[in-house]
Amino acid sequence: MNSFVISGVVAALLVLSGCSSKEPVVEESVQSPQEVSVEKVAPVETETVSSSEASVMSEDTSNASSSSSGSMSSIEDGMSTIYFDFDKFNIRADMENRIVNDAGVANGAASSFSLKLEGNCDEWGSDEYNFALGLRRANTVKKSLIAEGVDANRITMVSYGESNPTCSIKSENCWSKNRRVDFKLLP
Amino acid sequence: MKILISFLIAVAISYASDATIEVIKKVDSLPTLAVEDSSVSFNNKFKMKFFKSLVADLNVISLFNVDRSYRTVDYDASEVSYENKEMNYVLRYKLKKDDNGALNIELKILSKDDIVFSKNYKVNNPKIYMFVSHTIAYDINKFMGEEPVEWMKRKVIFSRIIAPKKSELVIADYTLTYQHVIVKGGFNIFPKWANKAQDSFYYTSLDEKIPTLKHVNIKTARSKIIKSSDGMMICSDVSSDGKKLLLTMAPKGQPDIYLYDVNSRKTKKLTKYGGIDVSGQFVNKEKIVFVSDRLGYPNIFSKGVNSHSVEQMVYYGKSNVACSAFGEYIVYKSRESSNVFSTNTFNLHLISTETDFIRRLTAVGVNEFPRFSIDGDAIIFIKNYKAQSSIGIIRLNHNKNYLFPLKYGKVQSIDW
Repeated sequence: MNSFVISGVVAALLVLSGCSSKEPVVEESVQSPQEVSVEKVAPVETETVSSSEASVMSEDTSNASSSSSGSMSSIEDGMSTIYFDFDKFNIRADMENRIVNDAGVANGAASSFSLKLEGNCDEWGSDEYNFALGLRRANTVKKSLIAEGVDANRITMVSYGESNPTCSIKSENCWSKNRRVDFKLLP
Repeated sequence: MKILISFLIAVAISYASDATIEVIKKVDSLPTLAVEDSSVSFNNKFKMKFFKSLVADLNVISLFNVDRSYRTVDYDASEVSYENKEMNYVLRYKLKKDDNGALNIELKILSKDDIVFSKNYKVNNPKIYMFVSHTIAYDINKFMGEEPVEWMKRKVIFSRIIAPKKSELVIADYTLTYQHVIVKGGFNIFPKWANKAQDSFYYTSLDEKIPTLKHVNIKTARSKIIKSSDGMMICSDVSSDGKKLLLTMAPKGQPDIYLYDVNSRKTKKLTKYGGIDVSGQFVNKEKIVFVSDRLGYPNIFSKGVNSHSVEQMVYYGKSNVACSAFGEYIVYKSRESSNVFSTNTFNLHLISTETDFIRRLTAVGVNEFPRFSIDGDAIIFIKNYKAQSSIGIIRLNHNKNYLFPLKYGKVQSIDW
């Protein structure tokens, strides 16, 4: 799986170090107070706004699918995405055959792999609740697969909320393509 | 006349104590302030960038009617520019690059030709000039006797969706002028500062076999895995002392809220409802608010950390899907329309748990992810409107909203 490689340096933790003592101070003001050439003014404070260097994390982006075997992806291609109605989480009548087919593939050609169910939503916001809705769709598919004889221990789930659209045009036809559960195989 | 003005101010202050009541301050009633540039270093492009940043910050503190005209004048000139004679205040600054390339700023505020405030600033890397600008505005706000705007100097962390299942975690200033990508590659979302010092953060990685919560110390660049859960794994909130986390997990496909102890690594399940319970937010150490669909639609509820009873907090709106709490106040996101064939509007509303007032904070677009500032003075949120993603700041007691657009991508979630 993807592993994080902590590589580079140079980022920026920006800390504003103040003369007041409230903020975390990375670099104290080193300049002594200076006098301003106007009598009414008290000694001028100097505040050093500093940037401490932090590290960048960069990730090994070689994704799982490119490293998976060709047979794995071809088996994946044989599994059908399940689509859902607006604001609904039940398996539509026209999707029931797909579930039967997907369960068949899961227990056939894909029987040596784990199944990852990816729940997705249309553009209803990026908050946790929308992720929970995507998960609810994945969970419905999971239960249907179990009912078709797929071992529950082989199934994991994830929700991508609205962050994994296959279509980004603002139309109902497009949104309907985003309300779905995809299948991914894991070794 | 003085009595009348005093009375009006007293009324304004008394109303301002309840943030759910809108305080309309007329622009004309604010003191005028002009900005004069006396810089002796840097090119015109940089000078103008600094000027714009400072004017923007001075606007956000909402204490002045800020003149946007760019004027130059000698720093030691005894009088303000002719055009600024009628101004209540004139802020004059001088940018100067020293031998080490550092940006030095001398600054003073004149009122009726008297210097009423002066301070010098220094930053080693001129590219982060915007943080100096924020600091100046913070100082001027304080000088004017207002409550500190601590949030202005704080960093924002957000996740930006750049392609399906591809995101970046970005550290920025509150105006997004400064941006640094801290986690690149992969699909990482829901970043959350781990403490007040903002030296580390949590985030959800969706690149693992199951959703995984990770912690990154940005000083040492060390990343460690905190916990994983099938289905969902999100750090919704961090307690003010950084010792407890509110997590949303779904180990059996059922999203629930859990309390996680950072030191002991023990987890306690806080909700048990068979539907959706997500987005836990600390009200204090003993109480949380969260989003649940236990009434058949998403709404905001509260419960004690050590008790089973659940209380409905919001009675307006049939689809309230996100919230943030500060003291007696709760800001929440509400779906205004539910139509499959049209664009939907989500607005933010503010309620007080001690009164019946509701105040709508936004008007158009998809407004989401509200988060109170650390001092409760402001609310930060994400606005998506007409294919533009922005970060918004609401100054509650000044009744003003400010938007800072994102140049590319879409903001998924935010914390500050």
